[in-house]
Amino acid sequence: MPRCLAVLRLFCAALLLAALPACGGAGGADRGPTVLAASSLQEALAEAGEAWRAQGHAAPVLSFAASSALARQVEQGAPADLFVSADEAWMDRLERADLLRAGTRTDLLSNRLVLIRPEGGRTRGLDDLGDGRLALADPDAVPAGRYAKAALESLGRWQEVASKLVPTENVRVALALVERGEAALGVVYATDAQASDSVEVVETFPEATHPPIRYPTALLATSTHPDAEALLAFLGSAEAQRIFARHGFGSAR
Amino acid sequence: MSFEVSIHHPIGERAINLAFSSDERLTALVGPSGAGKTSVLNCLAGLLRPLRGRIAVAGTVLFDAGLNVDLPPERRGAGYVFQDARLFPHLRVDANLRYGERLAPMGRRWIGHADVVEFLGIGHLLGRWPATLSGGETRRVAIGRALLSAPRFLLLDEPFASLDADRAEALMTLVERIRDELAIPILLVSHDRGEVERLAGRVVTLR
Amino acid sequence: MTTWLSPAEWSVVALSLRVSLVAVALTLPLAYALAWLLARRRFPGAILLDALVHLPLVVPPVVTGWLLLVLFGRTGPVGAWLEAQFGIVLVFRWTGAALAAAVMALPLMVRAMRLSIEAVDRRLVEAARTLGARPWRAFATITLPLSLPGIAAGAMLGFARSLGEFGATITFASNIAGETRTLPLAIYSGLQLPGAEAQVARLSIISIMLSIGALVVSELLVRRAGGSRAHVL
Repeated sequence: MPRCLAVLRLFCAALLLAALPACGGAGGADRGPTVLAASSLQEALAEAGEAWRAQGHAAPVLSFAASSALARQVEQGAPADLFVSADEAWMDRLERADLLRAGTRTDLLSNRLVLIRPEGGRTRGLDDLGDGRLALADPDAVPAGRYAKAALESLGRWQEVASKLVPTENVRVALALVERGEAALGVVYATDAQASDSVEVVETFPEATHPPIRYPTALLATSTHPDAEALLAFLGSAEAQRIFARHGFGSAR
Repeated sequence: MSFEVSIHHPIGERAINLAFSSDERLTALVGPSGAGKTSVLNCLAGLLRPLRGRIAVAGTVLFDAGLNVDLPPERRGAGYVFQDARLFPHLRVDANLRYGERLAPMGRRWIGHADVVEFLGIGHLLGRWPATLSGGETRRVAIGRALLSAPRFLLLDEPFASLDADRAEALMTLVERIRDELAIPILLVSHDRGEVERLAGRVVTLR
Repeated sequence: MTTWLSPAEWSVVALSLRVSLVAVALTLPLAYALAWLLARRRFPGAILLDALVHLPLVVPPVVTGWLLLVLFGRTGPVGAWLEAQFGIVLVFRWTGAALAAAVMALPLMVRAMRLSIEAVDRRLVEAARTLGARPWRAFATITLPLSLPGIAAGAMLGFARSLGEFGATITFASNIAGETRTLPLAIYSGLQLPGAEAQVARLSIISIMLSIGALVVSELLVRRAGGSRAHVL
């Protein structure tokens, strides 16, 4: 019995010790601004954040998810400083709800839509899909999915693929499914295809088939971090734009 | 030779050391509480394997450590009436009685179902659930169940314990009848001198 | 009541019920076998087996889903074999959702069944053996019937757990309407959409009602059978 008690005491002590760091005040001076960003920006924004930190600022806290999920979090009052969305619609929604700081909204980047298959896969295109599956972000909510649906509809292919879709909660999950070979084809951003070693591009959707893919960004009304404005300016700067270009993003023009 | 038993088995810090042979119809095994009398019965029934020894009943070797003979319980034919009766709670009395009967090979059945029921006076209990029986009724059903499994020998573990005087008397008469009429070896465990003197042809003491 | 949910919502409920029923029905024998092994047998590695069985309970469901994907996906060792030999594909199909639900429900089912097997007095089994029953027969006529309440309770518990299964399902079988979009996934999808609050509320109420129903039935089964039935008199 004494041994049990000793172990129990040790366990409680460990728990308390682990909990200590969490007791430090939120938004301490050693944490940078919180950025909510669309999942397609994962690698590029991480590198930009590194560049920002190398300039002597505190490293930003990056949180990636589907723009729809992030917008909902902001609506529910999630504390954050910047929001980078993958489409206008979700940013418009927040603007209408007065959740953005006035005058800070700009378009940051652009992107292209591509059809991908697993590296070494043999599916030549949509005609070749057969009973395989097409992975894409959820067309009902996620920007990448909306663009994909628009592109497929304007190409007249939506009806035939509708029964073979695998809608995912963000574009990176769709990418992962194609990487694993579970889905024979996928529709993701050009930057996602570039970020992955395990997929290859079958074709790029003509820009005319879908609304322009723009990444609006803005400060949130609830932002409190002193560095937030500077970070936003940095993301639009030439240095950051070079980083994004390296990952396949286009400029906002 | 009804029973040829030699058992050596450690239990906790003590050990059971027993050796006897008996030709009597009913042999009693007596001894102080905790000496291991029930364990001896378990060894005979095949529920407990002694470390060393040999057990033969009515000429059949059930266990021999040296020759590596150890018959499983279902092949020994022990009609074991447990101290706690152990009627199957999910079966009615009738089904309990038939449990062993069904499994007994036709050639070995030496007593009929109706006979046992009458012998033990349990006809009116057949449709009852074991949970609803009194102590004495439970014992009688347990004995009936054991008899109907066509046993080669009987093991009775304190069959008269915690019964009132009338019931105990009735049961003792019953055991006498079994001893005299059914002619199969019986090993009776009891701590009561009176019972033992009345029923046993041979008394073995376990220290 | 039938007009309260739209046909699409009804089909979500029907899919959830089908997935959960199949998951429990197929897992039942395995769960009981494992429960019996762990309850009645000592063998080297028993503790390891116990830990493995309980893994889905403590590991994040997403991890379980990912493991299922690695093993049973079209490119996974088991999945590829299933597809080559039998033409069975589990990812993106309701059968995959059933597998995910089954794996998550297994530990709960094993626990409930194991408890009820352990509650069966071994002395009853001994009595059966002395009456001439071989080990298998003693099991089938004594242990099995007496542990039945545990089997039923375990099944209901597993059913309730399957109904609520989310993380492993969405990771392994994905979220495909009509195939793998079970109740929890449908509620999740509804949360992603602007203006679907009413639908989310309706589906959530159904989900809660089904789970409570399953739990209540489970409890009643255990009580009706009564613990005393499993003991020696």
